[in-house]
Amino acid sequence: MKKKVEKQPVMHTTHLPLILLGVAMSLYGLITALVWSVSSRQAMRGLITAGQQRARLAAFEDMGGLIAGIVFLVLFVWCAVASRRGPRAAFIVGALASFGPILTGRADGLLFDTLGLRLPAGSVIASALATIVFALPMVIFFIILTSSRRVPRGCRWLAFGSIFLVLATAFFPIVVTVFAFLVKPGDPGVGRMMEVGALVVKLRYILPGLSLLGLAALSLQFKKKQIPVGAQTKTQEGGTK
Amino acid sequence: MRPATRFPALQQLVGMTVALVLLLSACGGNTPPATEGPAAQPGDEFAGLQLTVPAPYDPPIEMHSVITVDATVKFLGENDSNNNVWTRAYAQLLGIQLTYDWAVDPSMYGQKLGLAINSGDIPDMFVVRSDEFLLYQEAGLLADLSGVYAEEASEKTRDVLTQDPVALKAATIGGSLYGIPLTDAAVATASVLWVRQDWMDALGISAPVSMDDVLEISRRFTEEDPDGDGMADTIGLCLSKSLMGASSNVSGFMNGYHAYPGIWFERDGGLVYGSVQPEMRAALLALQEMYASGQIDPEFGVKDVNAVNETIAQGKCGMEYGVWWNPYFPLNLSQQNDPTAFWSAFAIPSVDSTIARSQYSTAIGAFLVVRNGYEHPEALIRMVNFWTDNLVGSQDEAVRNTFLGNIEAPDVVLYKYTPVVLWEPNAAIEAGNALRDALASRDPSGLDLEAQWRYRIIQAYYEQGILEAWVEVATNGPNGASAILMEILEDRGLMNRFYGPPTPTMAITMPTLQSMEAETIIRVIMGEPISLFDQFVSDWFEMGGTEIVDEVNQWAVQNP
Repeated sequence: MKKKVEKQPVMHTTHLPLILLGVAMSLYGLITALVWSVSSRQAMRGLITAGQQRARLAAFEDMGGLIAGIVFLVLFVWCAVASRRGPRAAFIVGALASFGPILTGRADGLLFDTLGLRLPAGSVIASALATIVFALPMVIFFIILTSSRRVPRGCRWLAFGSIFLVLATAFFPIVVTVFAFLVKPGDPGVGRMMEVGALVVKLRYILPGLSLLGLAALSLQFKKKQIPVGAQTKTQEGGTK
Repeated sequence: MRPATRFPALQQLVGMTVALVLLLSACGGNTPPATEGPAAQPGDEFAGLQLTVPAPYDPPIEMHSVITVDATVKFLGENDSNNNVWTRAYAQLLGIQLTYDWAVDPSMYGQKLGLAINSGDIPDMFVVRSDEFLLYQEAGLLADLSGVYAEEASEKTRDVLTQDPVALKAATIGGSLYGIPLTDAAVATASVLWVRQDWMDALGISAPVSMDDVLEISRRFTEEDPDGDGMADTIGLCLSKSLMGASSNVSGFMNGYHAYPGIWFERDGGLVYGSVQPEMRAALLALQEMYASGQIDPEFGVKDVNAVNETIAQGKCGMEYGVWWNPYFPLNLSQQNDPTAFWSAFAIPSVDSTIARSQYSTAIGAFLVVRNGYEHPEALIRMVNFWTDNLVGSQDEAVRNTFLGNIEAPDVVLYKYTPVVLWEPNAAIEAGNALRDALASRDPSGLDLEAQWRYRIIQAYYEQGILEAWVEVATNGPNGASAILMEILEDRGLMNRFYGPPTPTMAITMPTLQSMEAETIIRVIMGEPISLFDQFVSDWFEMGGTEIVDEVNQWAVQNP
């Protein structure tokens, strides 16, 4: 006979850190997408040179990535402190994702200057490295939540869906780029996929951030429903005593 | 209130998630349409293709020709040089039964053609190099195509053949047209200045607008360790001993001093040879100073273009003068050792307030001709029309896949099966302009397939930071090199005014004079006194140059 496990909200004490983490991640994704979008628009119109665009983006990713990474790390740690069991383990693993934004602007230098690697399609590999550093912990984070039986059913389903979202937004643009530059250069079909890839890459942080907000919302909803039942149970227990 | 309605944002999120997953799934499965190589059944092969063709000859006519087949030519299945998509198209769509009497490697073509003609076995239609064109015409071997060209040439054919202003002139002898020039992009041979943009950014250098800027950039690239490796191992300007090639040439640098080595241009009412003009001195002295201060490879005098390309690949070269497509090769090599390498193109800066002009020559190297006495000279024009009307600038994927080749078999280049291949001279400029317009409006829908691909690649650079896409950005992106070609075509270029066959004295003495010229340039750059150049000029005129100048000017009178 299957043992019945009592469901608990994702956060034990407060949901604030989870909400803040979701907001921070979405906001960082949104700002990143906006900065890329504005600068690429200017560069494609010839208003700024490719070098100027790269300099602007490098400055943003260096500073913005560092700030975002630190904020993510602090909030993940807070989330871990404010949760129990499975969710706590998930947040501890998820904290590793904080290094993703920090690495984004530094992957090229790390791989090619510090480590001295010489690889074809170097920027794709550098981008993939930064993506993996963010995406892999996030995927494991959502897997742990999905498999945590104490987590409310809605949260588990959302976490399950988020696994695919993170994987898709992280790796679809990379796979398309590899196809475009190495496997099938010139293929019109790949060309259409590249257009989608350019849109998907903008969702890399936004969608996981929204997933975290969704988790917080579902967990809060569960907690609100749980309070009267808990109170009733307490009353019954008190009466028995 | 039902719980579900208390979280509309959640519902939207779930909906968006599902939509995104579906979208990605759909995109992942979006494979390119299947294409086939040349079909074996001749009857079905061209069915459904939207082609512009005249009524075919009925009954079909026969045409004998000859063709070159190099190691890159590959045939699928049972196809061969006499049975392929092009021979079948000519037969079925035009009614021309084309037979190639022989096929040889390009290196053997001139010799084999000469032997065939000497033995009286003259093909009905064939390709002749520009240096042999006049010879064959004077021997009475070539048909006058003036009439059939006037009657049969399509609008697109006329457009392609007039984009290069000297193309038809070069094929005209005594007022009659004796060949169809195999056009290519003439202005594409003009040089631009390529500079390592990432090095300029690292050192805080702005774009060069004068030769002083070029010299200063060269100095700083040499002295200030732009690659940041802590070693003094970079050079400002790459040059190869071939001097006038498509990359690392010396002619582009000299154009900045209004010197035009190796070409003929108008001065004081006549044509003069650029290499012996006084402007060469200032350019040589500037290069000499750069060499002395280590800004030019000390071994440049013995380095051919392949050796210089090695230097570029090693990331040691900061600037070079070369053609607009250099990022495709050899500048792409620089990314092997430095993923952040990015070269930017600039119009050649001038030494003074007069605009510097990039020198270039006509790209007409050969002509399609018809044997004098062949009954159907107009058949060649129809074959040319077939190419220009259906393939030049075509956006029809099915037609392109059928006659040019497709992505499924990228090593099978179908147009190599026919000698009737004319490239649009201004294609690079027009394609670049269209691409830049699409980038500015972010709307690639009006572009042909190839341009759409380039658009995506450039987009990947700007929107995803894929640095490997810099090649396309540097050539066809905003401020890319192909934009400079337009300026060269308008007022920043100087075309070699002499496009005829070698004059009698030229044929005998020019090889000697050219090697003397190259040797002098290299020796002066490497430190020998400038008086060596003065001596060369004097020797050049004494050793036949005076006669050559006279002959060229006589030719110019006949070919205004």
